[in-house]
Amino acid sequence: MTFNEQELVRGCKQRNRVAQKQLYDVFGGKLFAICLRYTKNRADAEDVLQDAFIKIYENIDSFRADSPIEYWLRSVVVNTALNHLRQQKYLKELDDIDVHHNGLADKEFTLGNFQLQQLLELIQELPTGCRTIFNLYAIEGYQHNEIAEKLGISEGTSKSQYSRARSLLQQKLNKEKRFEDGPVRKR
Amino acid sequence: MDPSEKDSFENQWRKALMDASEAPPPSVWENIEAHLEKDNKRGLLPLWLNSQRIWLAAASVAALLFVGAGIWYSAKNDVSGTNNQVAVSKSGNAGNAENSAADSKTAEADEKGEVGANDITKDEVKSANKVDNASVSSSGAIENKPSIAGKSRKVSRGNSYASKEKHAEHISSDAQSFIAKNSTENPVEAAARIPEANVLSANSSSVNESKQNISAELMSSLPYNDLDVHLQKRYVFFRPEIKAEELVKLSANKEYWAGISLMPASFNPDLKVKSAPTNFSYQALSNKKSVSGTSEAGASYALQTQAGMKLSKHWSLEMGVSYLKGNSNYQGGGYLLSANNSTSANVLENALVGIAPNAYPALTDKSQSFNSGAIYVDVSKKSSNNYQYLQLPVQAGFTIYPEKKLSYSLLGGMMANFFLTNDLESASGDIITTTANDEIYRTVNWAATTGLRFNYRLSSKWKASLTGSYQKAVSSGFRSNQSLDVHPYLYGVAWGVRYSF
Repeated sequence: MTFNEQELVRGCKQRNRVAQKQLYDVFGGKLFAICLRYTKNRADAEDVLQDAFIKIYENIDSFRADSPIEYWLRSVVVNTALNHLRQQKYLKELDDIDVHHNGLADKEFTLGNFQLQQLLELIQELPTGCRTIFNLYAIEGYQHNEIAEKLGISEGTSKSQYSRARSLLQQKLNKEKRFEDGPVRKR
Repeated sequence: MDPSEKDSFENQWRKALMDASEAPPPSVWENIEAHLEKDNKRGLLPLWLNSQRIWLAAASVAALLFVGAGIWYSAKNDVSGTNNQVAVSKSGNAGNAENSAADSKTAEADEKGEVGANDITKDEVKSANKVDNASVSSSGAIENKPSIAGKSRKVSRGNSYASKEKHAEHISSDAQSFIAKNSTENPVEAAARIPEANVLSANSSSVNESKQNISAELMSSLPYNDLDVHLQKRYVFFRPEIKAEELVKLSANKEYWAGISLMPASFNPDLKVKSAPTNFSYQALSNKKSVSGTSEAGASYALQTQAGMKLSKHWSLEMGVSYLKGNSNYQGGGYLLSANNSTSANVLENALVGIAPNAYPALTDKSQSFNSGAIYVDVSKKSSNNYQYLQLPVQAGFTIYPEKKLSYSLLGGMMANFFLTNDLESASGDIITTTANDEIYRTVNWAATTGLRFNYRLSSKWKASLTGSYQKAVSSGFRSNQSLDVHPYLYGVAWGVRYSF
């Protein structure tokens, strides 16, 4: 943790409003991007971000300064997002699904030509279960057994949901490419 | 899954999204802030009540009064803090206020312009000067021309420069949202100014028609309302490392506080009669028994004020001024009864006369009556023996968990006890008062002090504290140690509040 981060955390622990705003200014953007990945739309993402920051400020005392604050902030946001999904009962009916590989996997697959907005939209369009597991596995880097434990599902469900997410994303990416016939879709 | 495939799929997504950033809308922070404000106001009282429940065993009514005052001040402080924040977050409004101030200046200057235009019929030069004064104050680059129309135009333009300059200041200092707000408001103000300028032009039209046309032409070059409105959507990508370098240092390492507390205490002067006073030494029994008395602690209290300085995260230094009322009883030692005139004296008063006969003329007379024979009464009678001290403690503190709501401080240091008075109850029930001027007690008696303090954070500025402390004199309180010795010690629990600067 850098000196400035320490100062920032100390200020937040003292409930200093300037520090709280600075923490929000510095990390709000990244954390909002996480919220966008886990939720269906911007309004939900805003709710999650708001709840997460309130939790962050209320529980900042439990943050130990031995790791970068960003890791802790990210975990709070991810957990808040998962709680939000649970409350909305999005995660209730997660079932093991049979996924047939569609053969669209592209070994030279590249995301470099897509804009962030496009990628976020692609993820948001995924069914909630697939989206959640895709985020946890591919982006956050959790293992399937950890995800299974976190969401109260079986490891097999986690794997099959992930395969489906992956398959859907590849389909969508290929579709985008075909339709646009160019590297960047104009928006 | 083929590892290379995983690499090309997950890693690409991770790279693309791990550090992705998207600016949240301002409403999110506004909601968070509103929630924090609500928490601040609502949370204060119940939290304090909770903590009080823990400490209820040691609670005293006076302490509650102090804490109540603390909460009251704290709430007051919070309200003013809120106002400040509102002022900051709504600086757009402040900007508008300044704009309106600028407008009123415009109006004033315009008035002057009008006055000047009227005066021209009487004295053209005079009015020209007046208008110049108005214009120079707002814009330095005004040329001096003989035409009133030209001057009135310059007045209005000069003022619009002035208000634009004000806008520029806000733009540099305020948030971008404010720019947007201002830029939407500018046309309205500009539009409002145009009619004023036209009035001026109309006034001066009788003087010079052609100049008025030029003025009108220039005014008509500001049709903000007709300008196209371009909307721009922005995606902002944060680089936290760079941003972090710009962070201002939030608070200096040094932090100061001031506090006030009330300490109910158990004070024991540990007063001892070391050798039998003169009148007691004549008989074997009184000689022996006179040194057997002991001091008993009484209910005492101290009013304390402290000022402290935080030296590092854990260490702090504090000093203060306290008033200590130390009550105690002296039991035993017996007393003498004069065979001649039935006067009596207990061992303490007799010992006091022994060490400073000049300080107590009345007692000296009394002791004379025991010289020619006295009866020793071996009765264990209690006499009150009360002290008043002014205390100046200097203590170092080590705080555990300084950032938590409940923190603990270990305290240790020295304390200068300035002797004020001693009230001793005599055998006959009279009170014998000894003051510092009597030169019996030492003016300053040093004591060591140690303690444990619980600090409970009420708000960012206020803390309530509960301090258990022990004080013990390191030297005797008497100037002469021949027959009397006093080494006061004290146990106390102080309730207090403190305010951090």
